[in-house]
Amino acid sequence: MTFAVGILLRFVAMVALLLVNGVVLIYMLRKVLGHLHLRIGPNRVGPFGLLQTTNDVIKLLTKEDLRPEAADAWLFNIAPFLVFVPSFMAYIPLVFGPDLAVTNLDTGILVVFAVLSLVPIGVMMAGWGSNAKWSLIGGMRAAGQQIAYEIPLLLSVLGPVMMAGSMDPAKIVAAQAGTWFGFIPRWFVIPQIVAFVVYVIAAQAETQQTPFDMSEAESELITGFANEYGGMRFGFLYLAEFSNMFIVAAIGTMLFFGGWQLPWITTPGWAAPFVFMFKTYVGIFTMMWARGSLPRFRVDQMLAFCWKRLIPISLVWVVVWATIQRLTLPGVVR
Amino acid sequence: MYGLGVLKGFGITIKNMFRPAITVQYPEQRLVIPKRARWAVRQKMDEDGVPKCTACLICVKECPDNVLRVFTSAKDGGGKRIDAYVYEVGACMMCGLCVAACPYDAIEMSHEYELATRHHDNLVRVLLRDVDAAPIPRKPREDAPAPTGGTEATDA
Repeated sequence: MTFAVGILLRFVAMVALLLVNGVVLIYMLRKVLGHLHLRIGPNRVGPFGLLQTTNDVIKLLTKEDLRPEAADAWLFNIAPFLVFVPSFMAYIPLVFGPDLAVTNLDTGILVVFAVLSLVPIGVMMAGWGSNAKWSLIGGMRAAGQQIAYEIPLLLSVLGPVMMAGSMDPAKIVAAQAGTWFGFIPRWFVIPQIVAFVVYVIAAQAETQQTPFDMSEAESELITGFANEYGGMRFGFLYLAEFSNMFIVAAIGTMLFFGGWQLPWITTPGWAAPFVFMFKTYVGIFTMMWARGSLPRFRVDQMLAFCWKRLIPISLVWVVVWATIQRLTLPGVVR
Repeated sequence: MYGLGVLKGFGITIKNMFRPAITVQYPEQRLVIPKRARWAVRQKMDEDGVPKCTACLICVKECPDNVLRVFTSAKDGGGKRIDAYVYEVGACMMCGLCVAACPYDAIEMSHEYELATRHHDNLVRVLLRDVDAAPIPRKPREDAPAPTGGTEATDA
């Protein structure tokens, strides 16, 4: 009985986090982009426009669920959930505090990227099932882009995993406690700076944020694979995008910035989730900052950048770091 | 260096983040309309508040969109009476040709730019209703455009 209640509570907490996070992130995106562009952002609905996204959610929930006549009904209906469910599942291994995680998985990092690699399939199905040329182009681009950028993403994750000697997020975070030489926080970002840069770029592409938003390039494809969707089906696609953003920022926090730990001092248990959320939101802000600063790549440039720059760099870095660690830092592996 | 421009762009946007917004918060704040801005057509009145329109219909002929209509009738004892001077603001493109063509300086482009309405009927305005047309002054205004010497094309 308590086992079932525990599972249910975790499930509810995950759903609540995902939904509230989505609403907050959409508001944050509009405000941040606005201020980056010398605008104000939403300011009409509620104080400071705070109720804008809540109103949007109500609008999405109450809109008619339309399906184009020529669309492939099965693919069209199932695709939003295939995009949404992986990004929901990816919350499972996130470590919010010393004892605060949905469940402890020995291969948590691998699980996150494994489930997130299902997203392109859903996106492809959405693009193909819509039976519209812009949707199809968007879906194809998304699939090509996400499959390409998964490789540097995974390779960049290998560095911190090698340093911690584990794929368990809890252990990776624990390995970042303490300091080097007494004053540098033992965060993996410092030795793994190359992997971090690759991770940031690949994560930006993996979540389809500008400058890598080929799949929904507004000026070219309207909204790409989500063209023919409306109502809550579109809501799921949209929510999954923001949820993925949160996940890659959270994974980056855990791998490179010590997760829920404050530098130099021991983090009290109650403060851990707040520290974790703060670091994650700083990461999300950086992604939005890039989104507000950089123009979009061309498709061929984007793929060339991935295959000719990011993958060689990350491969070389993995080899270099493995050699360094094998030769000089035998004590790092625990 | 490769990628330096990207960093420069990031610097510019983060600087913008801490600068005040440059957008005008429209219903609360308004920009000053330039003096020569052309918006909805308006009738001009003389010092006594009498319309200066003589119902010569040059503006009606000049309008490329045919948004002006003037209904006139003969007045007892000579002269014209304007039954209605109708202006379809919804179809007007604010080109100002009617104002440029008016020999009597009787109409002008106003600065009324908030033209959205909730009802179709508001898009058709009656600028003058049931008034005497002004008598034609002896000399047209000085800066009136000289008549162009063009001739109508005729069938051979």
